[in-house]
Amino acid sequence: MSTITTRLRHLILLLPLLVAGGAAAGPDNHVDIARGKALVIAGDCIACHTAPRGERFAGGLALQTPFGQIMAPNITPDNTTGIGSWSADDFARAMQEGRRPDGAYLYPAFPYPYYTKVARGDLDAIYAYLRTLQPVENRVDRDTLPFPFNIRLLMKGWNTLFFTPGPFKPDSARSAEFNRGAYLVEGLGHCGACHTPFNSFGASRNDKYLEGNQIDNWTAPNITNDARAGLGKWSADDIVQYLKTGQNGFSLASGPMKDVVENSTSKMPASDLKAIAVYLKERGAAGPPASTPLLASDPRMQAGEAIFVDTCAACHMRSGDGVAHLFPKLAGSAVATQQDPATLVRIIVAGGRAAATDGAPTSPAMPSLGYRLTDSQVADVVTYVRNSWGNAAAPVTEETVKALRARVTGAAAGD
Amino acid sequence: MGPTDRSREAKALRRGAGSGSSRRAFLLATAALLVTGKGVSARVVTKVLPWRPNEAYPVTPVVPGGYLFFTANEAAVVEAFAERLIPADELGPGARQAGVTTFIDRQLTGPYGGHDWLYMEGPFAQNPLPTQGLQSELTPRQQYRNGIAALEAYCKSSFSRSFTELDAGEQDKLIAGLEKGEVQLPNFSGKMLFTAIHTNTVEGFFADPIYGGNRDMVGWKLVGFPGTRYDFRDVIDRPNQAYTLPPVSMQGRPAWGER
Repeated sequence: MSTITTRLRHLILLLPLLVAGGAAAGPDNHVDIARGKALVIAGDCIACHTAPRGERFAGGLALQTPFGQIMAPNITPDNTTGIGSWSADDFARAMQEGRRPDGAYLYPAFPYPYYTKVARGDLDAIYAYLRTLQPVENRVDRDTLPFPFNIRLLMKGWNTLFFTPGPFKPDSARSAEFNRGAYLVEGLGHCGACHTPFNSFGASRNDKYLEGNQIDNWTAPNITNDARAGLGKWSADDIVQYLKTGQNGFSLASGPMKDVVENSTSKMPASDLKAIAVYLKERGAAGPPASTPLLASDPRMQAGEAIFVDTCAACHMRSGDGVAHLFPKLAGSAVATQQDPATLVRIIVAGGRAAATDGAPTSPAMPSLGYRLTDSQVADVVTYVRNSWGNAAAPVTEETVKALRARVTGAAAGD
Repeated sequence: MGPTDRSREAKALRRGAGSGSSRRAFLLATAALLVTGKGVSARVVTKVLPWRPNEAYPVTPVVPGGYLFFTANEAAVVEAFAERLIPADELGPGARQAGVTTFIDRQLTGPYGGHDWLYMEGPFAQNPLPTQGLQSELTPRQQYRNGIAALEAYCKSSFSRSFTELDAGEQDKLIAGLEKGEVQLPNFSGKMLFTAIHTNTVEGFFADPIYGGNRDMVGWKLVGFPGTRYDFRDVIDRPNQAYTLPPVSMQGRPAWGER
């Protein structure tokens, strides 16, 4: 084929476009925007960047950290109060380096130590999608931390110690599916931001990656492949079902994970969920050594059993087996036997609600029993659940319940 | 809606009874009230039912000790009366030990004592059908106050003693006479007094202990009622076998540990 014919063909192909001229096709980045939207869902950006009853992505949610309160910013393309004036490079720098366009340091409550792994092409797609949002004027106070944490330059030192910038590097020894899962979990999904313990500087501990943490008075359980504390008993399909519908034969998502499932994972493509499951199953296992269950003759176990039989067994069954799709199984439950008992205690005191998804729309709820049980009674029944039907975990004290009750009830607890 | 609204409505209802146009006016007024009144705007619930953490509507437990409505003498009469209806015997404690008088006293102090949620404006049928329910303008508080006074007056004139000083046989005979309508109390229906004390004694003996009666769940233990349990799947397929779990109240049971 001669060069002339090729050129002619191009010309002919261009003609209809020229004729149609002025139809304002806009930037031809539909694919980017659709992909960006999917990535924003996978990153669950809306969870932090939307205030309760606030405009979507317009910021204003107060994130509680051990160092004080941080208000999540407005990420709509509003020029003055949002990120309307940011370029794609500015956006990529914030995501990969934790820096604002003016160079100021962002706090790692914004999980840039995870987002740094996201590929530039994906960041540009996210940016393209965020540009399509309706700009919302909502000024968020971005300087709410107390002294000395209000000095953003401190984060320079923090980054030196705890932040390893750089994109995700696939492991060539692993399958493409594993690497896709790793890319999602370690990057945009930022699963470790909740499921990995912090050190005293609020950084995720790499030596305890995904081994569980307490976050916002909920237990973010161990999600390594550990048979006792982690996902070891779950198949890859169980994980997919949980992320897609919010429940499986082992557990129902509640608390912050309810929001993650409802806003994010239930809307992700099945292939990505499968990749996440494969990664979590194949990555490895780590957890605390098994403990010995308390003796049934222990007075705490005796009181706990009486309370369980009278108060809990009607739904969760005397055998602790629960009822599929409705009442979580407690026998063999990894959540029930985490080192941190926060979820168990708070669900009894304040009640709880499971995720509602298209796949499992019921959203069963547990009533609050805090009015009926004293701190010591809650401690005893939790201790009983943690040490029955093959479960084994440290007993819970009245003081633990008292402290948690103060945090999850009353005006400060919110909803 | 306050009591004033209610009585105003009741008057409007009576006025409107004979005339179509005023009934229509009343209905329109009611509709307008519903539309403009605060807090009655309809709430749309979609997808999931509302749920809030820490949501509970606990009962304030009755603290035994003293009486809030009864005088000492009234309490003694009610207690003696109730103890004849459910006496302590070989089957267990009676109404006195179960705290029935405290239960009735606290109920009379609350909304039940004033029939606060019942329509009390009349007209009242003189010879009502059984299906017509309550046909008296007397609230439970008035029934007890006036009824006990009448009973005491009757006992003073017939026996020269208080009801509490009669022996068990005399009390039983008198109570039976009240039940059958054979004893005429001065200015008060003996049957009404009997019905009030009898009904409330049974309630006090079997209601949850949180309301002041059924102390230590004695009523439930007597009849084998398991209390606030509501799941029997473990035992439903085992008929004719004893149900062995002890009763449990809204505040638990002794095995739960100290409150």
